[in-house]
This record gives sequence, structure tokens and C-alpha cells, in this order.
Amino acid sequence: MNPAGNPSMPAGAPAPLDPMSLPSDDSVNAYTFCVELRGSQWFLQKGKMIAYYGSIEFNGIGHGRLDRLVRTSFHSPLHASDWVVAEGQGKMLLADRAFDVNSYDLEDGNLTIRSGNLLAFQPTLALKQSIVPGFLTLIGTGKFVAASNGPVVFMEPPIRVDPQALVGWADCPSPCHHYDHGYLTGVIGGVRALTGIGGTSGEEHQFEFVGAGTVLLQSSEALMAEQATGALPQQAGVPGGQGAPGQHGQRGQQPGQPRLPGQLGDLQRRFGL
Amino acid sequence: MPCSDPISDGYRRCVATFRLQGSRVLAVDMSGDAVKAKNGSMVAYDGQMAFKKMTGGGEGVRGMVTRRLTGEQMTVMEVKGHGTCWFADRATEINLVSLHGEKLFVEAGNLLCTDAGLRTGTHFTGVRGASQGNGLFTTTVEGSGQAAIMSEGPAVVLRVSRQYPLTVDPGAYVAHQGDLRQNLQSGVTFRTLLGEGGGEAFQIRFEGEGLVYVQPSERTTIAGDV
Repeated sequence: MNPAGNPSMPAGAPAPLDPMSLPSDDSVNAYTFCVELRGSQWFLQKGKMIAYYGSIEFNGIGHGRLDRLVRTSFHSPLHASDWVVAEGQGKMLLADRAFDVNSYDLEDGNLTIRSGNLLAFQPTLALKQSIVPGFLTLIGTGKFVAASNGPVVFMEPPIRVDPQALVGWADCPSPCHHYDHGYLTGVIGGVRALTGIGGTSGEEHQFEFVGAGTVLLQSSEALMAEQATGALPQQAGVPGGQGAPGQHGQRGQQPGQPRLPGQLGDLQRRFGL
Repeated sequence: MPCSDPISDGYRRCVATFRLQGSRVLAVDMSGDAVKAKNGSMVAYDGQMAFKKMTGGGEGVRGMVTRRLTGEQMTVMEVKGHGTCWFADRATEINLVSLHGEKLFVEAGNLLCTDAGLRTGTHFTGVRGASQGNGLFTTTVEGSGQAAIMSEGPAVVLRVSRQYPLTVDPGAYVAHQGDLRQNLQSGVTFRTLLGEGGGEAFQIRFEGEGLVYVQPSERTTIAGDV
């Protein structure tokens, strides 16, 4: 039962790995991913490296030498402090809080992902902040590594998903909110919305995707720690940017008070509650 | 069944046999022999078992004082009896290690269960421990027999050889065995102070021949954010 040459490993235990037997740019197990660097570079989220063979250097995005690389493939200045560039020769293991880790290949494609779920990506991809706050979009050709709580499920639109289960989406043009309006109409619904009496199922609000593409879901509703996204440009027309207050359709809202998109308050106003 | 370890001179030595039931529960078959386990980690047993708290981890007064002084504290119980006893702790993954006279270095918090015949002790590791936030010392397990160590997520076992030294994040380090030298590498530069560090300011470098166990998760360490 013992693997040859490993007298100290009991049966059933994983065989020890060395730089020869470690996979190249592939998963070691469901929770660990191995990246091979041959003088190449990878972007990775700070602190997700658990071990490496060889000589690898980790530099903050702000490192002067990386200026060119950052200019071509890192278009999220607000995330810069959360990312580093690994550069050198060797094999490096990535993992994140024992969450499931998967790699995905993009071929001249685009994928939008919750910022906390993205662990690493090849510089051949360009990372951009999504218009949807808290999400990042990867564009181009290359490999990236993402973490999820439980295995990832791929779904085809049209589909409505629970906000906490959403990891990301590829090629879908229409991420939008969906509310079960019927639940909040009528007298009983009004009382419920105002007082909470009668209880809610907790599933009145979903994200809706239609069109051609793929939606990525995790099999739990535990969210990854959100990475700080920094402040958005103070500009009119930028969602979440709070630029130019009181310009369009924000009547009745106290100026300066931040409001989540799709907050229940909107609904109540919609129904004249 | 537990007495399945025939020794060449004809005696059959009764040794507790460790096996994993799933990846998060350890089953130990015993026939009159004993194991040392983390206090309170028993989840079930069948047969006759006696649980006794071992003050100072069964290392005597000297060991007890050492552990108290070094902060590498373990609360250990001795489990003795006939039958099967199951151990688990906070649904962490369990890894079995067989020792044949060599030494296993493991963080006290990651040690679940050992054969009663294995000696445990404390070992000075130097500054590495400090960066890990769990003191300057680590626990050693020595002798012949089996031990079970815990990790958050299944541990990856990495071989270190002369031509392939290994560098590990202190927060992901669980245990190591073999003839390894370790030293702390610090990548703290003025950039770290500016908040533009590489995120991996402290690393442990292992050189020599042996095995290192790392977990796919990082403990919160002092070095975690720099």
C-alpha cells in the first residue's frame, strides 16, 4: 500500500509532491492550485501563496519595474494595493482559506467575477473594474484562478440566481435585479414589508441573467471576504460613484446618504408605501 | 484485528491502529493499549475506554514547566481500552503520519492524536515562530508509531531535497519531518512600510531532506498583511 520510496507515508495518505510531480498550471487537489513560472509573470491576490519551489519574487503593483506590465493588463488602480506580481522560476502553490479553487481558460473572451473570488491571473488577460460595483472583469486570452465556497456550478441563462451564490458570469449582457413583486403587494404585503410581521422567505430578491452566456454559481451562500474596491471616480453616470447628487431621479432621497442599489426602500416607494 | 503488527521475533505487539474514516474523522482500534489525544477530541467510541487527562502532556514535570514557559501548550488525554475510538476536531482535515524513529515537528494546535509510545516534547524554532504568532517553540513527536495531524483543508505534502529547497508561508505551515534546516526569510523593504509590499514579507525556507506539510489556508499571522 505504501507508495514506493515513501516508507513514512501511511496508506491512503497523499503522496509527497516535489517540483517534478507537481502539476504545471493545474490543480493539486480541490483546494490548492499550482502555477509554474518560467521567467513569466502572474498576478495574484496578496497573501494567497502558501509555498513555492525555486526562486520567485513578489512585488507590489506599485513597483516601478512593473510599470509596463501594469499599464497593459491591470486597469483597476483601485485594487492595486490588493495585488502583487509573482515573477521568477519555479512552481508556486496558491490557496485561499481552504475554499475550493478552480482554474478557467478564457479564449478571447470576457468574464466578470466577484472581486473577492479572484485569486490569480495571467498577464495576458486584462483586469478591469466592472460597472457593477464589487465585480471585476477579465478580458482577453489566458488562465485565471478563482476560489468559491463549495464547487462551482455552471448555468445557462435565462436564469435567476441568489445574490449570495453568484460568483460571476461570462458573456452575459444583462445582469439585473429581480424582485418578486407579488409578495409585497396588497394590504398583507404592505404590512409585511413595513413591519416584517408574517416573515419573509428571504428569497424575494434575485439576480436575473438573460441572453447567451454562462453564469457561475457557488454551492453555498457564504460570501468571500470582499476586497476593498476603493472609491469610484466622482463622476456623473458612474454607478455607485455618488457623483453629481440629485441629478437624475433621486428626488426624495436625503442628499449625501448612501443607498444600496435595489434596497427595499425603493420598492416601498414604488408601491406608494 | 488491532494486534496485526507481527514483530520478527515471534511476539505480537499490540499497537493501536490508526485509520481515517472519511477525511475528517480518525478511528483508532485499540486492544488494551493507549493513545494520547487532544483533550476533548473524542466523538464516539465502542467497547471499553478510559479517558484520563494527562497533565503536562505526559512529559513529566519538566515537560510541563517547559510547555508553560514556552507557551506551546497542549491539553492531552490518554485514551486506553479495548475497541474503537473516533476522534475529530472542528471538522478539520486529518493527516496520518507514520514515524520510524524520526522526528516530526508540528504546531501544538495541529496535533490530534499520537501513539502512546511516541515521545512528545518542545523544540526551539527561533524567530520563525514569532512571525507565525504562536511563539518561538514548536512541538516534536519522536519514536516509532503513528500520529495524526490536523489541517484546515487537506494538507499538501511537499518533498524537500538537496536540489529543491522549499519556501513556505508561515501561516500555511503545519508540520515537517526529516533532516531539514529552516530559516526565516524576510522581504521587508521600504516598500512594505509604504504599504506596497509584495504580500509575502515573511517566508520560511526549508533546506535538506524531508517532508513539509502545508495547508490550503493561512492562519492569521503578524506577517499576514505586510
